[in-house]
Amino acid sequence: MKSRFKPVQLLGRRTVMVASAAMVLSAWATPLMAQSGRKNRVTLNSVLRFDETTWARLVEKGPRPAAYIFTTTYCPSCPDAFEKVMAFVMQARRPVELVVVLMDVQGKAALEHASHYVGATRLYTFEGFESAIRQSVDPKWPNVTPYIVLLGRDGGIQRSIGVPEEAALKRWLP
Amino acid sequence: MSFPSINFRARSVLALGAALLVWCGAGVAQPVPAAPPATMSAAPAPAAARPAVRAPRPQLGVGAAVAPDGTLWLVALNAQGRLYLQTAPMPAGKGTTPWSAPRLLDTADDVISADGENRPKLLFGPRGTVLIAYTQVLSKPFTGHVRMLRSVDAGKTFAPPFTVHADRQVITHRFESVAFDRQGVLHTVWIDKRDQELAPRVGQKSTYRGAAIYRNTSTDGGATFGPDIKVADHSCECCRIALGLGADGVMRAMWRHVFAPNVRDHAFAVLRGDTTAPIVRATYDEWRVDACPHHGPGLAAAQEGFHAVWFGIRPQGGENVAAVRYARLEPDGTPRADTVRQIPDERAEHADVAAHGQRVAVVWRSTDGKLSTLKAWLSEDGGQTFREQVLGQTEGHNDFPRLVQNGLRMVVVWRNAVEVKVYEITF
Repeated sequence: MKSRFKPVQLLGRRTVMVASAAMVLSAWATPLMAQSGRKNRVTLNSVLRFDETTWARLVEKGPRPAAYIFTTTYCPSCPDAFEKVMAFVMQARRPVELVVVLMDVQGKAALEHASHYVGATRLYTFEGFESAIRQSVDPKWPNVTPYIVLLGRDGGIQRSIGVPEEAALKRWLP
Repeated sequence: MSFPSINFRARSVLALGAALLVWCGAGVAQPVPAAPPATMSAAPAPAAARPAVRAPRPQLGVGAAVAPDGTLWLVALNAQGRLYLQTAPMPAGKGTTPWSAPRLLDTADDVISADGENRPKLLFGPRGTVLIAYTQVLSKPFTGHVRMLRSVDAGKTFAPPFTVHADRQVITHRFESVAFDRQGVLHTVWIDKRDQELAPRVGQKSTYRGAAIYRNTSTDGGATFGPDIKVADHSCECCRIALGLGADGVMRAMWRHVFAPNVRDHAFAVLRGDTTAPIVRATYDEWRVDACPHHGPGLAAAQEGFHAVWFGIRPQGGENVAAVRYARLEPDGTPRADTVRQIPDERAEHADVAAHGQRVAVVWRSTDGKLSTLKAWLSEDGGQTFREQVLGQTEGHNDFPRLVQNGLRMVVVWRNAVEVKVYEITF
């Protein structure tokens, strides 16, 4: 009986292992690759809800390192701030969760603004009373956007109104 | 067959299969390639995502004013986004405000902004004129037209809406403010991005700092308008503009400005006829940030100069202190440095100010998680000393408090998701 595994045999054990390893590595690196060149950057097409309980859960169980860019549809400074954080991530060449949280629009309507944040890995929208959600993130956050939270691999949190200073970004992704 | 004897083939297949699964899984977890927003469709949502059924955030921004007969009028959007008008007697003491049934207005299907800083406005003018101004939201982000409804029969009927400015590009003409001066000239002032559109670009980014303040005037109560006049380059893009009528009967405007290179303090201008006056810097918080506070100032005439309230972040004692602050301004907008003080509430938001004689009322919203509190700061000595008062509380969505004045009487109109409450200010 002819072997159904002939192609594998032809390839040889080492080749198969190398190919498998390459695929696993490729899967691991895809978030980074999605952000490492403009050609590969993507626009999100789904939205997650962000309520008063979300922030605590993200800090405790969410991916790290991560950057959370809180923004509003009326904020013209926000896409620029996102681009600057994105540029730092690309330069650092590290897999990073890059999250955009839209505060003043819900559900599918948020997708109309996703094109301002090409390369983000997740898009959330506030669901509930904005001030209460804002205070669950930071009780001292005045309603100014972009508000950016950098969550380090060790769980360390750095907050800024506007683009974080270079030193803060370097502490975040050393 | 011994287990190890098949193992090269099987293990190879398993390894490749597992690798393929991981690789494909990673692909599925990635967002889909970019597509024009108009053709986007929602991807299968994770369990937590429910994009299709979410209710939009309620648009609770209101405009309120006192009619010549002393009645309180209100314009706002209903849950369907339709503009409506209500009236009520000016309240005396505490109690529920007996609002009339809402009367829907014909806005020719305009999509109207009524959220926070950008809300409908209501204005009474000479000879039975009633004006309602609002921003019509256009198709592109950050774009809008300033529109107006006009009545010349004391609000019994309104003509169809019209656009107030001459420029009709699909760009920002938003955050309008309207007021009559003592000569009966109607002033309309708004944030405008026509200069930003014309400025050179680096990549997709304009080299123009912020937006611009434009205005026009009407000498016939809003029937016709003069040309668009630039008040200033480099305003902040998303904060309301405060108007105040000086003791001399001349209109002034105060807005958040972007002083070079990125200082988001406030500027002040005298709006006289169709001439352009130099702007004056009215606050010195030195808040250097590329951000959008969405938090404009308040302005009220004093016996001499103005009372002003604003939000800013100011370096104090080695820290950056975010606060709503109060100060007296000279008639030209120059701040009196010894009058600058911080409102005693670190959660204060979106303050408004009104004054009559020596009486000054500052009101603001203070939100602590779910509970929002309406507070007042009252002075009877022209702003030298203040005492604090709590006027009311509500849970959930609510608008910013709006002070409405009829001579000596002042009320605060404050809308929540259920009702519009009116609080009388008592000194």
